[in-house]
Amino acid sequence: MSVPLVLLPSDEVPQDHLPTNNSNPLRLGPGLRILSQPSSKGSSHVLTATQAGLLTTDAKRNTVSLLSFPNRRYIPTVNDFVIAQIHHSSVDFFHCMVTPHTAHALLGQLSFEGASKKTRPMLKQGELVYARVQSVGVGAGAEVELTCVNPATGKADGGLGPLTGGMVFDVSTGMAARLIRASSSSAEHNDAIEGLVVLSELGKKLESLGGFEIAVGRNGKVWVDCSNAAESAVKVTVAVGRCLQETDQQNLHPHDQKKLVTKILRDMKLVS
Amino acid sequence: MVGPIASLSQLNRADGSASYKCPATGYSILGAVNAPIELPARRDALKPEEATVEVFVKPGTTTAGVGERYVEGILRSVLGKIVLGREKGFPRRGVVLTLAIVGGENVERGDSYLTILPALLHAGLLAMVSASVPLSMTFSATLLGVTKSGDIVRDPSPTAAKAAVSLHVFAVSSKNHLLLNESEGRFDFDTWELVRERALSICQGETAASADGDVSMGEGTASASLSGFIRETVEDQVYSDYAYNLDSI
Repeated sequence: MSVPLVLLPSDEVPQDHLPTNNSNPLRLGPGLRILSQPSSKGSSHVLTATQAGLLTTDAKRNTVSLLSFPNRRYIPTVNDFVIAQIHHSSVDFFHCMVTPHTAHALLGQLSFEGASKKTRPMLKQGELVYARVQSVGVGAGAEVELTCVNPATGKADGGLGPLTGGMVFDVSTGMAARLIRASSSSAEHNDAIEGLVVLSELGKKLESLGGFEIAVGRNGKVWVDCSNAAESAVKVTVAVGRCLQETDQQNLHPHDQKKLVTKILRDMKLVS
Repeated sequence: MVGPIASLSQLNRADGSASYKCPATGYSILGAVNAPIELPARRDALKPEEATVEVFVKPGTTTAGVGERYVEGILRSVLGKIVLGREKGFPRRGVVLTLAIVGGENVERGDSYLTILPALLHAGLLAMVSASVPLSMTFSATLLGVTKSGDIVRDPSPTAAKAAVSLHVFAVSSKNHLLLNESEGRFDFDTWELVRERALSICQGETAASADGDVSMGEGTASASLSGFIRETVEDQVYSDYAYNLDSI
């Protein structure tokens, strides 16, 4: 890859930065749009940025996208995993909050694994679900629909469903995306994937205490639970959350992440 | 001349934020953007296909008054034109920009509000960029004063602005188009033309000469112009945010 290229709104994507794989059509990620410029010999197309960010290309999948600032607001996109909080329930739907100050997303009362009219989860206000964005609707003011099952199989793939116990921590959307990317590419052989070592480091140090469980929502929420840790469960949960939040806010380097984990675990008297 | 100072994403809870300080006029602005959010009772907006841009200007020491309402109107029209309000997730939602004047002299009632306008425009633009609001272009703005002797002064201080015969604020887009022209005082067309040329050269630097729309990316030439300053500020923030990604390249 050549020098990193930062684009500002209205900047054109240079031709030589585009992937040259011609087998399948080029796919545009968020932050880019195609404009056609009328010229003397017909019209030509240019790709321009609509947001500021770092241009990244994936030659294998023939995609080009713009990595924007990590603090931005989450905009629901189909197939994203999110952590939603139930606001209230109506006859057919649970009304959930995905991001603050936006309209509620709808989660069908029956879109859970094995749910029927007789047996379905009775979720109360404030409870959490790990859900997938099913549709975002068409046009202005459309409602976002969530689901907790894979509609094709009827199974709750990837841990979808109500989240019981544990605690939710807010991180930036960029950090959430990074955590998801880091976990999807098998982290075993590559130690510092996406520059994140905080989770593997926590995993190593907390193994003796029973380990912990996390779920990451693209809307900038991380749910942490460690029901195995008996009396120190609360401490471990808070320690994991603090490590993630501080790594995010201070944009720590892998080396500093290890230091932070050691410091926080010692502060909370979890590891001597 | 000391250039302005700016940084992005300083606030943790806002979707995007920027601080901007202009040493010449002394103003320091903190801007925050939340977008796209639901505006109460605004679901039947005049243009339901587009996002609504809302701007609030808060003076440091008093409540907002007539002067603030006036600049809010200017900011709303300029930013409303460059925000792509039809992108995914934005129609019928609001883009709310709050600008707090955290430093500099108070603008008294009756004083010209144009002196602070370029700082507000820059802080607003950078906050929008930081919140990843889709924009069709970026811009840069400058304040020019014409003195009694006919000299054109760049970024006059509030006292110099009071003594000036006329004040002009220009905003020039990244495509070298004139986006905003606000003028105050007595001037004639010849003076305005001179001021406009000066503003173009301040905002775009050397690149104003090349008509093909190519922006020179060289360090030396870019930093001289205001558009180069905006670009450098954004690049610095992207590089620091994605340091983990760039290390591996």
